[in-house]
Amino acid sequence: MKKTVLFALLLLFTAVGIFSCQKTTGDDAPTPDTSLDRKALLTQWADSLVKPGYQRFNDKLAALKTKTTAFTAAPTTATLVEARQAWQAAYLEWQKVELFEFGPAESVSLRNHFNIYPADVTGINRNITTGSYDFEVATAIPQQGFPTLDYLLNGVASGDAAIVQQYVSSANHRRYLTDVVAKMDQTFGTVYGQWTGSYRDTFVNNAGTDASSSLSRVINAYSLYFERYLRAGKVGIPAGTMSGTPRPEKIEAYYLKGALPLQLATTAHTTVQQFFNGRTGRPSLKSYLDALGAKDSRTGQSLTSIINTQFGVSYQQLSSLGPDLFTTITARNADAVTSYNEMQKAVRLIKVDMTSALGITVTYVDNDGD
Amino acid sequence: MGEGLRRYFLADTSAAPLATFRVAFGVLVLASVVRFWAKGWIAELYLKPKFFFPYYGFEWVRPLGLYTYGLFVVCGLCALLVALGWWYRTAALGLFLSFTYIELMDKSTYLNHYYFVSLAAFLLVLLPAGRFFSVDAHLDPARWRSQVPRWTVDALRLLVGVVYCYAGLAKLNSDWLGHAMPLRIWLPAKNDLWLVGPLFNHVWVAYAFSWFGAFYDLTVPFFLLYRPTRAWAYAAVVVFHVLTAVLFPIGMFPYVMIVAALVFFPADAHLRALTRLRRWVLRTPVAPRLAQPLVYAPRTKQALLLVLGTFFVVQLLLPFRYLLYPRELFWTEEGYRFSWRVMLMEKMGQVQFKVVDGQTGRARLVNNDEHLSVLQEKMMSTQPDMLVQFAHYLRAYYARRGVQQPKVYADAYVSLNGRLGKSFIDPTVDLAQASDDLRPKSWILPFDDEISGL
Repeated sequence: MKKTVLFALLLLFTAVGIFSCQKTTGDDAPTPDTSLDRKALLTQWADSLVKPGYQRFNDKLAALKTKTTAFTAAPTTATLVEARQAWQAAYLEWQKVELFEFGPAESVSLRNHFNIYPADVTGINRNITTGSYDFEVATAIPQQGFPTLDYLLNGVASGDAAIVQQYVSSANHRRYLTDVVAKMDQTFGTVYGQWTGSYRDTFVNNAGTDASSSLSRVINAYSLYFERYLRAGKVGIPAGTMSGTPRPEKIEAYYLKGALPLQLATTAHTTVQQFFNGRTGRPSLKSYLDALGAKDSRTGQSLTSIINTQFGVSYQQLSSLGPDLFTTITARNADAVTSYNEMQKAVRLIKVDMTSALGITVTYVDNDGD
Repeated sequence: MGEGLRRYFLADTSAAPLATFRVAFGVLVLASVVRFWAKGWIAELYLKPKFFFPYYGFEWVRPLGLYTYGLFVVCGLCALLVALGWWYRTAALGLFLSFTYIELMDKSTYLNHYYFVSLAAFLLVLLPAGRFFSVDAHLDPARWRSQVPRWTVDALRLLVGVVYCYAGLAKLNSDWLGHAMPLRIWLPAKNDLWLVGPLFNHVWVAYAFSWFGAFYDLTVPFFLLYRPTRAWAYAAVVVFHVLTAVLFPIGMFPYVMIVAALVFFPADAHLRALTRLRRWVLRTPVAPRLAQPLVYAPRTKQALLLVLGTFFVVQLLLPFRYLLYPRELFWTEEGYRFSWRVMLMEKMGQVQFKVVDGQTGRARLVNNDEHLSVLQEKMMSTQPDMLVQFAHYLRAYYARRGVQQPKVYADAYVSLNGRLGKSFIDPTVDLAQASDDLRPKSWILPFDDEISGL
């Protein structure tokens, strides 16, 4: 009787053994364990991307605070120009960290405090007049952050002299500008403080693949950023892909216009690409996917090369929208729509193909796997 | 042969296996309900979404707002009563109806093991599982029966056997056996598991798991039936299902199957277990009683056998209905559900709906998450019947908001078992006009690949 069992088991293991041996010597090269180390990947992200990125942004934000303080203390064309330059530098640096909306940034809704546009000018002016406002309420989201600073430094009046005059004559304007920057400083301080504190270890040690794991959160934030805040926010919505009518006034940095809006978008796009590829020889999404052997099983082409090719096409099309995004949106709307479509192709590779290959779970609810 | 069959249908067996199944099943369903509630899924899945995906023919089954909680209370209560064997027949019927109603409310929560629970509950309504080791028999000793017709116990064994065998048959395809898909994607994601984790980085392990999984599903009911291999096979059941519970987010399924497979053990094992349980609960010695067989009136027996026969014929045929559809099952999912196809696909998608005003031609894009839960959107984006249902909902939604003759188009992108994603449905077809029925859907774009096998 026992023999039957043993025979069955023997049969089973030989069958499994034979088959698997055949396969390992076949098309599938054995993968080195180290490159599929998610903890190493998270460590790389925390120590070489998020923390240094936040540090650089923190410096720019401090400079912004200094320059706007100088401007409100003594509003002149010179101090205005300096404040504006500091704002531009910080805004560009922001594009390199906005995608880190997970962990501390997610819990304080950092993006809501920093970069939701178009700015609510009516609300801002009401705040300035009444002098009472609470930046934590939902309606106040478009009344703060970089888009509001765009209006305050570039749009409250036409021409630098008139803008300066506005701040000279109105204490409320000076106060609002100070408060907006102070709020940004305070909110970001909380987030940065957590990363330099205990959150870094929490992040690195949550190395699973379920819906609450660091990897899942990062991928979720990454693809959401690319889809909603880069593809749709910076190009799609102004180009009218959502509503059918171009709305150029919905671009980022609308009150300054010129080269900056496109520069912000291309910086964001480069950041998305660099986040994917990382540095040569260091853990990255690319190295992890390559170690998984992720490829299109129809053609055998590696997923990372497909993604990088599309990133290239998408970046090319986006940078062709210069020199002035505001003008291009109406003058060459079709180009803007093409840019949106190319980004959409990349979004799908990230959101669908990459997420699927990583095997991460997107919901907590039980599922049979389909 | 005919004589053998006749004798089989006259044979009696101990009622104990039915009783243990009843108790264990009731307790598990109760635990499932409590777990579901505790995780906040009632609100998340049945109260918050604005739209639900009904099953074909069951469009009238909808969540009941706040009363949905009441439905779960009824379901849990019936499960408890079934476990106790108190008001057994009514409770079993209540359990079958309430559980099935819950499952029919929204397609996006479809799980094979929920379907199994519904089917098992249906069998319990018919089977004499409340006559032994039950409160009913305790309160009214005249109802007590220690022996039941053998076919009543075998019906449960057959159901469990069908589940395993069909799950095994479904694995006999080129993706599962030839490419170790989708385990090849899922296992490395668990490479941080204690002890065994590092193994999952090797492709051969995914192959070994795939082949063993198929072999296990196809053969385990037979090993469970055969006395010499039974203990081993049951050990394999426990190990296999505990492993799947650790690896995959499949909820209560492993435990349901571990418990259901107990039905293969012989009567004396069940009897011993029940006696021990009784001594532990009541703390009184069991007085030996004379065996009392349950004898059905000929009419009742005929009717029961007819219903069970029909039930099993349907069970055996239903999973093969996919043969009536012309194209790749995994891609179109026409005839996919209710067929014990468990953990076969890593399928992911993204869909962008566009609503066009039929008069002005003005187009707008839809934010799915304004209408659907994360789970609903995930499930819909890869399942054509759900896409068309949502399109119909959007037609009505936008018509109410003043859009004239709304046309609804979907741009869907789907990847399946490691193949690069591709366009899933024809973006030029107005889904508002597409019919939502069981006929093949011509607007699903070709798969451009082949998965061979069953």
